[in-house]
Amino acid sequence: MKEINLDVLKDAAHRLLFDMSDEEYETLLSEFAVLTKQMETIGKIEGLEDYEPMTFPFECETTYLREDEPTTPLSREEALANAGSTLDGEIKLPKVVG
Amino acid sequence: MNFEAVIGLEIHVEMKTKSKMFSSSPNGFSREPNTQVTPFDMAYPGTMPVVNKAAVINAIRVANALHMTIDRLIRFDRKNYFYSDLPKGFQITQQFHPIGREGYLDILDRDGKVKRIGIERIHMEEDTCKQLHFASYSLLDYNRAGVPLIEIVSHPEMRSGTEAMHYVEAIRNIVVYTLTSDGKMEEGSLRCDVNVSLRPFGSDKFGTKVEIKNLNSTKNIESALDYEIARQSAILLSGGQVQQETRRYDEASGKTVLMRVKTDAVDYKYFPEPNITPIRISEEFVRDAIDTCPELYDSKKERYVSLGLSPVDAAIILDNLAMSQYFDKALGDGKYAKTVSNLLIVEVNGYLNKNGLTIEQFPLQPEILYLLAKEQEGGFTHKQVVDMFHYCVENEGAKPEDAINALHIAKQSSDDSLVLSFVTAVLDANPQSIADFKAGKDRAQGFLVGQVMKMAKGKVNPGAVAKVMAEELKKR
Amino acid sequence: MNYLDLSIRDIHQALVEKKVTPLELTKEALKRAKENKDNCFEMILEEEALAFASTLTEPEADNLLWGIPYLAKDNFSTKGLPTTASSNILVGYKPLYDATVIAKLKEKKAVLIGKTTLDELAMGGTGTTGHLGITYNPYDPKHERMIGGSSCGSAAAMAAGIVPFALGSDTGDSVRKPASYGGVIGVKPTWGRISRYGLFPFAPSLDHVGYFTRYAEDAAVLLEALSGRDVMDSTSSVKDVDAYVAESEKELVSPRIAVLDDIVESIRDNAIRDAFLDSLKKLEEAGAMINHIRFGHDLLESIYATYIVISCAEATSNDANLDGIKFGPYYEGKTYQEVMSQARTKGFSELIKRRFVIGSFALMRENQDVLFLRAQKNRAKIVERTNQILADNDFIFVPAAPTVAPKLGATSDKLSDEYLIADNHLALGNFAGLPSITMPLGYENGLPFGVNFMGRAFEESKLLSICRTFEKITGICGDYYGKEGK
Repeated sequence: MKEINLDVLKDAAHRLLFDMSDEEYETLLSEFAVLTKQMETIGKIEGLEDYEPMTFPFECETTYLREDEPTTPLSREEALANAGSTLDGEIKLPKVVG
Repeated sequence: MNFEAVIGLEIHVEMKTKSKMFSSSPNGFSREPNTQVTPFDMAYPGTMPVVNKAAVINAIRVANALHMTIDRLIRFDRKNYFYSDLPKGFQITQQFHPIGREGYLDILDRDGKVKRIGIERIHMEEDTCKQLHFASYSLLDYNRAGVPLIEIVSHPEMRSGTEAMHYVEAIRNIVVYTLTSDGKMEEGSLRCDVNVSLRPFGSDKFGTKVEIKNLNSTKNIESALDYEIARQSAILLSGGQVQQETRRYDEASGKTVLMRVKTDAVDYKYFPEPNITPIRISEEFVRDAIDTCPELYDSKKERYVSLGLSPVDAAIILDNLAMSQYFDKALGDGKYAKTVSNLLIVEVNGYLNKNGLTIEQFPLQPEILYLLAKEQEGGFTHKQVVDMFHYCVENEGAKPEDAINALHIAKQSSDDSLVLSFVTAVLDANPQSIADFKAGKDRAQGFLVGQVMKMAKGKVNPGAVAKVMAEELKKR
Repeated sequence: MNYLDLSIRDIHQALVEKKVTPLELTKEALKRAKENKDNCFEMILEEEALAFASTLTEPEADNLLWGIPYLAKDNFSTKGLPTTASSNILVGYKPLYDATVIAKLKEKKAVLIGKTTLDELAMGGTGTTGHLGITYNPYDPKHERMIGGSSCGSAAAMAAGIVPFALGSDTGDSVRKPASYGGVIGVKPTWGRISRYGLFPFAPSLDHVGYFTRYAEDAAVLLEALSGRDVMDSTSSVKDVDAYVAESEKELVSPRIAVLDDIVESIRDNAIRDAFLDSLKKLEEAGAMINHIRFGHDLLESIYATYIVISCAEATSNDANLDGIKFGPYYEGKTYQEVMSQARTKGFSELIKRRFVIGSFALMRENQDVLFLRAQKNRAKIVERTNQILADNDFIFVPAAPTVAPKLGATSDKLSDEYLIADNHLALGNFAGLPSITMPLGYENGLPFGVNFMGRAFEESKLLSICRTFEKITGICGDYYGKEGK
């Protein structure tokens, strides 16, 4: 596991596209300390490697596939109604480079 | 030292389904921006993905054409990253369980020999939204967001630009003929990322990979790779090191240009998509998808050749899906395949080019083309049939027989007694020409045939005339 | 007596007999809502509710929900009505579609009178982290105690008797824990039983639509109305929907009830433990067979970490769509990253951000094995143990929480047994996707506490039946703070 320190946490936050106050990073660091201890409770469980990682709570295979039939889309006005920055029927952003 | 190029391709293909990969939003091209959108495509909170059946069928067909093992359990995963064109902040893809694994494709190498290229995986995913860049801002159009994609990843088994070009052509033929995609590189419905590295011949290690983007034609793939291989080779020969980077192909200069140097690989934090429970597809479903798959390019080509077309003519027709679909209808019982193909390649194409039309816009029913070919093989001259063709094109609903009546076209006779009577009359009237012929002037025979055609007002078959004339001349 | 205080069936009877009208019920509910001081509401829909209720003039005899006022947690998408999930990042957002449950209730002509507060984006268990501040427990008019969360507004409104039922969502215990603190019934059915389409996701593999009622029969009425396959939610089950109301009326013959002793023993509040043990006797008297079972201390202790890792990992991905571009407040910036960063930095509270970092950290390539995948494997092990117990027993029965509603600001030792085991065990129902219902049991110093029954997947009829039996045992259902005659 990656070593946890303030720089790692700051980098992780920035990659998630937000920032926090310095105090919050400290709080987070202490939370990680608790979480690491709590994760040790999982470490105590025996035979864990025999289990498949579980995503779904129980066996729930289906056979359903949606028929390829289009429905009426939103009007352009609706589609953009909640967007804070638009121009000529499109969402406008600062120039995207790369 | 000599180097060997190691080339692998990732191809993204936009499917032309009626609705999107995970939403029932219409999937249409070149409409007004942001008019083919449902709340899911704009990542509205609480919306959920529902898998499109047609997309799965397409993927099965392409996987089958690539001889891949098809997973009977359809599962999806999330690829997490932030980008302006990614509405949800993640893309739903099939990282852990692609629908198809380990297949191959046979292509021709630079020397025209068949070479088998291994294919690692094929999976389904969704497209991002389209960005339009202006001087100081960019605009986002969500029509493309959620369009179904197939990604096909080859093993790094290609060794030249030509092989890569042939590989892409073959993939394009498969996606076009399974009716999965338009496969148009220039419009972005088929997109290629090429990875290339060099290593000394005989080595089994891989060199530093360079990724090339912005390849919008198969020809460009070949040219870009030729350039890039030469560039890397020169670096290595001069004792330098190839940098891990992304380059783009600049068509004007024929060179690859640096876009960005790659730092550590992006961590996409993949995990299984919890909003789509695994979907079991039955043997019957898979079999049905394969059995009802439209005929593939290679099979069509084989069929056309077996009907008498040259491989070149077959390839010309197959270069355009709609053209081959038209041809298939015009073939009828297949009796006149060669003549139909000639009419299609020369006359129909000529008409389309002259009028700036596509085959989809061509007014003549394919059944009429069949009838025209039948007339030609039934004794009308090619020129006569071409006249009929133009009459039928210009007169909606007209059949060859209507053209024959309207244009007073008469069939040339091959009836030996009729031909003989004309030949005899001409020979009798032209003793000098007979003498010339006997004196070795071959041209005299042509003159005599011409006289017969003139006298018969075109009603006799020139071939038959020539044959009878030759026989009669011998007798004189 | 006010008609609003009756069970749904009794209100319905009065509506059909025209003793009361939907408009009168709606007015009463709105009056109570406006008088409430517990910060339950993101929005009271006075105008909309009155307009809709006044169109309801012809009672539908076969539709128990006709004209019944209700509330929905503000993380259900409501077309044209602001939906914030109590987060600043969604202020001003007006959804373009109704969540399936909202659409179903609209179809049934139930009257939505407001949207309720929640812990921001439903991530939290205290009811203190929403952008409108703390939601209080009505049972403590001094406002010193929490109602719990994340469905805090719905729970508090129910505890204050404002409506007969309210929608919530439950990812760890977000309906069932606050139900215990508020003395009401909290239901979380089997995963996939009720469509989640339109529920703002927190962690989809654990998320459930849930709800609060005051009477056990009402819980059956709601389940019958809300359940069923929805093609918009690929995870919704195709299993038939039972006639829950009729089925749950049938009394079970000697139901086998597993009591998890390791959970009961970790509780230090004697009043709660004694009341629970006393209720066991009454269940036995009513014909139940009680089996005392140990779940496994270490496994129980690992629930919390497992939950945090899985839920935060899924959440960081689910909420990556919140970037101010398509909806929510937009902030100018020189680059698109700056635009998104501004929206996310200003829009999320610090607690949420910390959870996102934890989740993202758990998913990183070099950490996945020891964090996310290990948590998912442990989930499998916990679920296996749970189902083992339910193979021999019809229900698992435990106190819903180790305490009455805690005081605000009181910190719990996040590494103590009581916290790790008795405060987090309800997540078992989310891990295994099992139906789970919190029932009120009693009061300690005037503050309510409850118990929890959990049953086998898709066996909600039986679960509702034992709850109806239990309701008769306690005799306290239908209570709320300040109810006339209390």
